[in-house]
Amino acid sequence: MGQLSLKNVIKTFGDFEVVKNVSLDVQEGEFIVFVGPSGCGKSTLLRMIAGLEHTTGGDIVIDGKRVNDLPPVKRGIAMVFQSYALYPHMSVYENIAFPLRVEGAPEAVIRKKVNDAAAILHLDERLHQRPGQLSGGQRQRVAIGRAIVREPEIFLFDEPLSNLDAALRADMRIELTRLHKQLGATMIYVTHDQIEAMTMADRIVVLHGGDISQVGAPLELYHKPQNTFVAGFIGNPRMNMLPARCMGVTANGVQISCQGQSVTLPVAPRAGLEGAEMLLGIRPEHVTLGQGDLTLRATPNVIEQLGQQTIGYASLDGREENFLFVLSGTRGIEDDKPISLGFAAADCHLFDSTGAALERQVDIAAMTAPTL
Amino acid sequence: MAVRSKDTRPMIDRYRWWEVVLIYAGIFVFLFFMLAPFIEGFLVSLKPLSQLFSSPYKFWPENGSFKAYYTMWVSVPRFGRYIFNSFLISTVATIIVLALVVPAAYAFARFNYKGMALVLGGFLAVSMFSGAVLLIPLFRLMRTLGLLNTYFAMIVPGVAFLIPSAIWLLRTYMMRIPTELNEAAYMDGASQFYTFRRVILPIAAPGIVVVAITTFIGAYAQQFIFALTFNSKSDYMPLPVGLFAYFGKQDVIWNELMAASFVGIAPALVIIFFLQRYLVGGLTAGAVKQ
Ligand SMILES: Nc1ncnc2c1ncn2[C@@H]1O[C@H](COP(=O)(O)OP(=O)(O)OP(=O)(O)O)[C@@H](O)[C@H]1O
Ligand SMILES: [Mg+2]
Repeated sequence: MGQLSLKNVIKTFGDFEVVKNVSLDVQEGEFIVFVGPSGCGKSTLLRMIAGLEHTTGGDIVIDGKRVNDLPPVKRGIAMVFQSYALYPHMSVYENIAFPLRVEGAPEAVIRKKVNDAAAILHLDERLHQRPGQLSGGQRQRVAIGRAIVREPEIFLFDEPLSNLDAALRADMRIELTRLHKQLGATMIYVTHDQIEAMTMADRIVVLHGGDISQVGAPLELYHKPQNTFVAGFIGNPRMNMLPARCMGVTANGVQISCQGQSVTLPVAPRAGLEGAEMLLGIRPEHVTLGQGDLTLRATPNVIEQLGQQTIGYASLDGREENFLFVLSGTRGIEDDKPISLGFAAADCHLFDSTGAALERQVDIAAMTAPTL
Repeated sequence: MAVRSKDTRPMIDRYRWWEVVLIYAGIFVFLFFMLAPFIEGFLVSLKPLSQLFSSPYKFWPENGSFKAYYTMWVSVPRFGRYIFNSFLISTVATIIVLALVVPAAYAFARFNYKGMALVLGGFLAVSMFSGAVLLIPLFRLMRTLGLLNTYFAMIVPGVAFLIPSAIWLLRTYMMRIPTELNEAAYMDGASQFYTFRRVILPIAAPGIVVVAITTFIGAYAQQFIFALTFNSKSDYMPLPVGLFAYFGKQDVIWNELMAASFVGIAPALVIIFFLQRYLVGGLTAGAVKQ
């Protein structure tokens, strides 16, 4: 078991509302990732689930039982801290054994469980070293080991990999995914890293200023962001936003005029939009050189050559913000020379003046292998 | 071939020759002022008494010997007892201080409550009074409590005056232990007390040793004034008062006095020497990523 529900959860520090009315259902065995800008309340929410932080309002329900007032152990939850939080005076063995010693488990049980955990995490050789003698990745594995020996139903991770370098982070990411499969436990994971969020999550929860902005599978968030915030937050580099005006609504979509051109976007039509100001979003990776359904004249200011990609920052007539485009492969584009950039109407996102998206007509299931 | 420098020091640690000379000269002057009394004291302890008042005065002892180190036990037969008393008073005081200060410092370091700043400030203010200013009220207090002429008369006020600085010292040390360790232990089901015993105490050990040493030294230095005022039983006299026994009716046996001083502080030196082995730094290495 490891089913978790948040019901209208609120957290205030003094007068400052950090988490506002969050409701979320997490299925057993799911891998949930919390993302959001710094200070949006991810850690606070996680710490409330953990039982480290008091919940101001609402219910936290685990396996049908309200746990607001229970300590972490009674909730069946283990947490891995960003800073590892290992006990420096104890060996790796004792660090991992700590929760079992607290429980007063018999020595034989402790030895078996610690050795099992060490085997899963490839720490067998390190059991008698102190945390100070380990590398960052090994320390993080010890912290995970300490979490898994208790066999909790729910694991919480607060940016566990953010202290590691890029290569190690990639390795640990794969190891964590493997661990999730192996243990089958529910995991809730906070991260800043988009790649971690996209690759590990069954569902991503995007938090914005203490509210849930959108919950969904990674590709759903990428292809069908429900608002401008999620559209800008998911995807790297950020989505370009262009002002547009609605010219008319048909059964096939919404006709807009943008940068002096008129085009019909295949989005779910809605009545009463005619004449309204809107925002057109286009991801940099969907922009190509040359003509498209919509074509822009742009002058690149900066070109970044990454080898596998060419990223350009271009200025459009009458707009201050840069227009980003990402071309695959190495392209010899010169800066300060005007070029044509085009993109397809089907790749566009359309948002109304409140920032809410008009649903795009894409079938994600057709693009991916079916999940769950 | 290019000249290779064998010097591996970083640039910021390199000095010109005259800077080096100045630095060493400074160190020498400083050390000389600090150590001169000890050197002179030691030399005096080696001289026969007659030579001490010869003029012109000679620093270097002629036919010096360690004779005073034997005769001191004869002229003041209870001297061993005084050393023992000193030791007992300081040790008991240190143990009491540690027993009180370790939990208190932890509480001050970890918990926030109303009026904490006030209490801490109060401790600081108290430690600005030296015991000497409060001797008369203390004397009356001791008399009322019936503690005069007991070991407690020397231990209790000593403890009281040593606590504030010990709390401040240890609190600072404990504040450097990351709170995540408490949270991690809490997540693992440990109680406050279990966490304190199994996690905080071992990590704070070097800080506790520092506090133990400073408290022991403090108690050693302080006992003189309390012993002089609150105790008249020679059985309970600590070393500094015991040294007065070498002040005879007519004259002072200077060489034995000096010898006795050196013998008297030897046990304290030995203790400190053993304790400082535990002053290893970096015990929190690897706990958290800063
Ligand atoms: N103990 C506290 N007292 C007062 N305010 C707090 C406290 N803890 C957090 N906050 C505030 O709550 C907000 C959310 O903090 P939180 O740590 O949850 O952010 P976060 O999303 O985890 O950010 P980051 O990505 O930087 O870790 C912040 O604005 C922070 O200032
Ligand atoms: Mg955080």
